Amino acid sequence: MSDTVQASPDAAAQNTLVPVTVLTGFLGAGKTTLLNHILTAQHGRKYAVVVNEFGELGVDNDLVVDADEEVFEMNNGCICCTVRGDLIRILGNLMKRRAKFDGIIVETTGLADPAPVAQTFFVDEDVRGKTRLDAVVTVVDSYNVIQTLDESPEAVNQIAFADVIILNKTDLVDEVALATIESRIRSINAVARIHRAQRGDVPLSDVLDQGGFDLQRALEHAPHFLEDTSHSHEADVTSLSYEVEEPLDAAKFQAWIGAVLQEQGADILRAKGILNYAGEDQRFAFQAVHMMADGGFIGPWKEGEPRVSRLVFIGRNLNRPQLRRGFESCRAK
Amino acid sequence: MSDTVNDTMPATGLLERRGAMRQLEGQITGCTISRDSQQVAFATGEGDIMVADRADWGQSDAWNVMTVHDGAVLAIAPDAAPTGFLTGGDDNALRRVAADGSVSDLAKGRRWIEHITTWTNGKGGVIAFASGKQVELRDADGHTTLKVLEHPSTVSGIVFDAKGKRIAASHYNGASMWFVQAKVDTVRPLEWKGSHIGIAIHPAGEALVTSMQESELHGWRLSDGHNMRMSGYPSKVQSMAFTRNGKWLVTSGADTIVMWPFFGGGPMGKPPAEAGGLPGVMCTRVACHPVHDIVAAGFADGSVLMADTGAQRILPVCIGGSGAVTALEFSPDGCCLAFGSEDGRACVVDLSAK
Repeated sequence: MSDTVQASPDAAAQNTLVPVTVLTGFLGAGKTTLLNHILTAQHGRKYAVVVNEFGELGVDNDLVVDADEEVFEMNNGCICCTVRGDLIRILGNLMKRRAKFDGIIVETTGLADPAPVAQTFFVDEDVRGKTRLDAVVTVVDSYNVIQTLDESPEAVNQIAFADVIILNKTDLVDEVALATIESRIRSINAVARIHRAQRGDVPLSDVLDQGGFDLQRALEHAPHFLEDTSHSHEADVTSLSYEVEEPLDAAKFQAWIGAVLQEQGADILRAKGILNYAGEDQRFAFQAVHMMADGGFIGPWKEGEPRVSRLVFIGRNLNRPQLRRGFESCRAK
Repeated sequence: MSDTVNDTMPATGLLERRGAMRQLEGQITGCTISRDSQQVAFATGEGDIMVADRADWGQSDAWNVMTVHDGAVLAIAPDAAPTGFLTGGDDNALRRVAADGSVSDLAKGRRWIEHITTWTNGKGGVIAFASGKQVELRDADGHTTLKVLEHPSTVSGIVFDAKGKRIAASHYNGASMWFVQAKVDTVRPLEWKGSHIGIAIHPAGEALVTSMQESELHGWRLSDGHNMRMSGYPSKVQSMAFTRNGKWLVTSGADTIVMWPFFGGGPMGKPPAEAGGLPGVMCTRVACHPVHDIVAAGFADGSVLMADTGAQRILPVCIGGSGAVTALEFSPDGCCLAFGSEDGRACVVDLSAK
């Protein structure tokens, strides 16, 4: 399972799955404030909320479940394959009363690594059969974030993993500081959408229904960051983006990406790609969390869309030129 | 539905000829039969319990529905007494439903009550329930706490041995076994790395078996702690049961009824037997008959089959037609088979001689 690229369920099946939003962020960043903002907003939707036992404040909702964040390692030979067993159990039980809510929000503890949560949705057949991971939303305290990122690898992981970053408490810093913060966040994660907020007051459309793990929407928000070629080998977490204009050989790409994930999966937090396979009219979408990958055809190229293959890695210890050479070697002859 | 099944079986199943069905709101999360075999109870994801008295097994409109929990009913078991049921819910409550339909509170905690099991020898009895990492044992009255057993992670299943001397709980990285009557609680840890999601014990106490997240079973021979591994499943094993004599461990998790031999040196080094199935349709629930060598199996398309473990004969109870079977039990006297489905079908089949 670790390095195979599985076919993903079709779009119709995706729509009947209950969306799950994962809310991460350091203690004091404002997770619970954002959570209460989501729950009390007038959207006419009901959410089941899974909170951790160290929750900061009370959560104002009918259906709140206490979780213990029990992580275990899968016995499948890949060391980074950790899964939240409590979440498998809780989601399974919540789905017994499926009619009672429209979505599920999972709040993690401040120091939590988002990977086990995300991997749970790749690994467990029952979770995959009933729910879908919509997005990892990371709340950041603008006032403390730079120091937190310097001191804590957990905080870096939470930024690196995010589909959406809520830059909270922007009233506590000035515009110059905000620009510095955003550029620091971008250097870690060039793909996530960043929204500024005070007391968690973001429009819900910025947080819910993001499709962060939906292959149909992979790289929908194209990363447009400057290639920094001054370092060939980044020890810190960073985003690498590659483009190949010529069509790719599907078998070569599968073999290469499989080997990359097998060897460097522990360091690759997330990967996403839209690929142009030779002889195929459809786009092929690909995503991975550490060693776990998922992929499938997602329909024809849009009118006027350049038919190029794009691939983004977010991770640490990534060798920029080596990955580029590998990706380019997948060109079809 | 498979053509091969249609070709070899009668057109109608036992449900049509000897059973009754009632459609409920919400998923059937469990079913059980009282120890005196006089009442069948179904539990739902909406917090309801439906009870069918033996005289009404053929008349589903006489079955009595009541709301017992605020939220889903996560566990249901026969009471330790001859009559009545115990239920646990995601409202963190343990309740007793007496034969006359009266409901009383036994416990209210801080975690979901996900597992309940009871034991009795006709004189005394013990009630056990799991809530988070704790397993609490109570006297048969339901109010006197005998002990609270702590585990390293959330308990995913509990089981008494046949004599009620020991109780075992599955959790992360193995299972824990405890003596029910011990003055000082000392755990016997049975370790195996990974997430264990269900548990069963051999009727003669020879082995303890757990189901694992990686779609396989793990077992420990209790005499010496020897490890057993039973693998090859295409999906997780959600349901398993030993036959009455302990010869076979019957499980779900494949498109056939899988049976591991616990005789002649097995299950180590022995392939499992298959007691029929539905090609391409996953078995989701199994139950073993208390008197005869018969197993029942429920499937992902709502089908239920009975199979003879010796003669390899298959008898359809019902074929297809609805959501996955989520609950399946025989009554203690073997006269009734009850089952329920994900889409709210609750069925009782009367197997007694008429």
